[in-house]
Amino acid sequence: MPRTVRILLSVAIAAAFAPPLAAQWARVAPPGVPRNADGSVNMRAPAPRTADGRLDLSGIWERSTRTEKPGEAPPGRPPLATFANLGVNMVGGLPYQPWAKELSNKRVANQRFDNPDALCLPQGPLQYHLDPQPRQIYQMPQRTLFIYESNYGRRTIYTDGRPLPKQGEPQPTWHGYSIGRWDADTFVVESNNFRGVQGGHPGDAWLDQLGSPYTDALHLTERFRRVNFGNLEIDVTVDDPKAYTRPFTVRVEHVIVADGWEMVEFICHENQMFLKMTGRQ
Amino acid sequence: MTRFTASLLAAAFAAAVSPGLHAQWPLYPKPGVPKGADGTVNATAPAPRTADGRPDLSGIWMRTTRTEKPGSAPAGQPPLASFNDAGAGMKGGLPYQPWAAQVMKKRLAEHGLDNPDSLCLPQGPMMFHLDPQPKEIIQLPHKTVMIHESNYMIRTVYTDGRKLPPQGEPQPYWHGYSVGRWDGETLVVETNNYRGDGWLDFSGSPFTDAMRLTERFRRVNFGNLHIDVTIDDPKAYTRPFTVRVEQVVVADGSELIEFICHENQQFLKMTGRQ
Repeated sequence: MPRTVRILLSVAIAAAFAPPLAAQWARVAPPGVPRNADGSVNMRAPAPRTADGRLDLSGIWERSTRTEKPGEAPPGRPPLATFANLGVNMVGGLPYQPWAKELSNKRVANQRFDNPDALCLPQGPLQYHLDPQPRQIYQMPQRTLFIYESNYGRRTIYTDGRPLPKQGEPQPTWHGYSIGRWDADTFVVESNNFRGVQGGHPGDAWLDQLGSPYTDALHLTERFRRVNFGNLEIDVTVDDPKAYTRPFTVRVEHVIVADGWEMVEFICHENQMFLKMTGRQ
Repeated sequence: MTRFTASLLAAAFAAAVSPGLHAQWPLYPKPGVPKGADGTVNATAPAPRTADGRPDLSGIWMRTTRTEKPGSAPAGQPPLASFNDAGAGMKGGLPYQPWAAQVMKKRLAEHGLDNPDSLCLPQGPMMFHLDPQPKEIIQLPHKTVMIHESNYMIRTVYTDGRKLPPQGEPQPYWHGYSVGRWDGETLVVETNNYRGDGWLDFSGSPFTDAMRLTERFRRVNFGNLHIDVTIDDPKAYTRPFTVRVEQVVVADGSELIEFICHENQQFLKMTGRQ
């Protein structure tokens, strides 16, 4: 099959298989949702707080539909990242090291043949943030849990005061090792121990659909702010001197899902058409 | 490669890749673990309770190492199920309908070639309970979330008072649709809307979309969780039956880790499917 057809098909499949929140799952609205006079969700009501007075990030979140032109982020805001291209709104794009740019070019030229996302392997941290499928945050006293509907993503942010372990200890994982702390109303999450590119395997470590790589030197800092009931802003700083010439910060924006839709199961590699179409199964 | 070899290899592989709780993940014991005078976890201390006074099932759990001979369950206790055979502790085994016994025998004869577990697809509900990998329960006010390290399972038990939906609405799922309520000190979880082509155990005992699962969770003390599981599936079994699952708490500070089951999937390669 020609590669062009293949890639078109894989996009079509991805679209067809992404289980919409609107599957046939029963809708039971969560308690405590602020409403407008007309009964709709009041997205601009104050953000809820936990018993200890912190902002409560808990909820089901979908990526915002807001778009932006390169270099036109509102003042004080990092450029908006997209699932397809993390640096799309950065003037000049991502500050790749030469080998990283080359690897990204190769992955795109190869029609994303080894994209972990298409293979139902874990997505990169920015792909999880920006996937069209929803994610759920459970904020608890000693930790915060992130569950991503896409690709079985599950991430624990430890907030019990522990420090980040050294890189390589524990064994690096796809999802990394994350700790969080509060900086006033901002939840600051730092992560390391990502697997990163290992020996240049084309399937390793994609930040976006361009295959922008990251390495085991990646130190990720995410600053979460729930600005009101309906909106969550995440500024993500990627500091990976092996893959990028300087640290850079991009913006992710999420909106709440508060109308009673729930996360459903997404068995990504059941009847995996991408493997079949690419002749690997 | 013969199927027999493949099956043995698959078993060896499963054992080799099961990530132990004791990988290199650092230990961070949780606050509030009752300890004996010698500093070890006091498993027989009272079960913790949530703010609303319910027993708190939250914690990381591993299956017990207790075994039982068929028909020898202590008085008043259902027979102990095993990962290999949900009816392991039952005299005469599971009450299969004839076709269901046939399916199980065929799956055994094929050495589990199509076992969803080996294919990294969701395990059946009893397999999740009895898998050697740990599982975590997070009890929240309106729901209880169960996360199993094996095969990516996340299961939500809604405890907000909603009813079970009719079968087929929503679309049936591998993990089913679960609601829970408290009966005294017991969390009673009822589940329907299973897909129905799954495996109850490693032997391949089937279940159908008619299955109604009732699980009664009792945290008898700090260290022990008893789950009595009633399987009511008249299409596959001649009568409802109840089996026991026992789990022990993991309180040494170990945490669930990621298990990317289908990364470098050897079972598919060994069975010539990839």
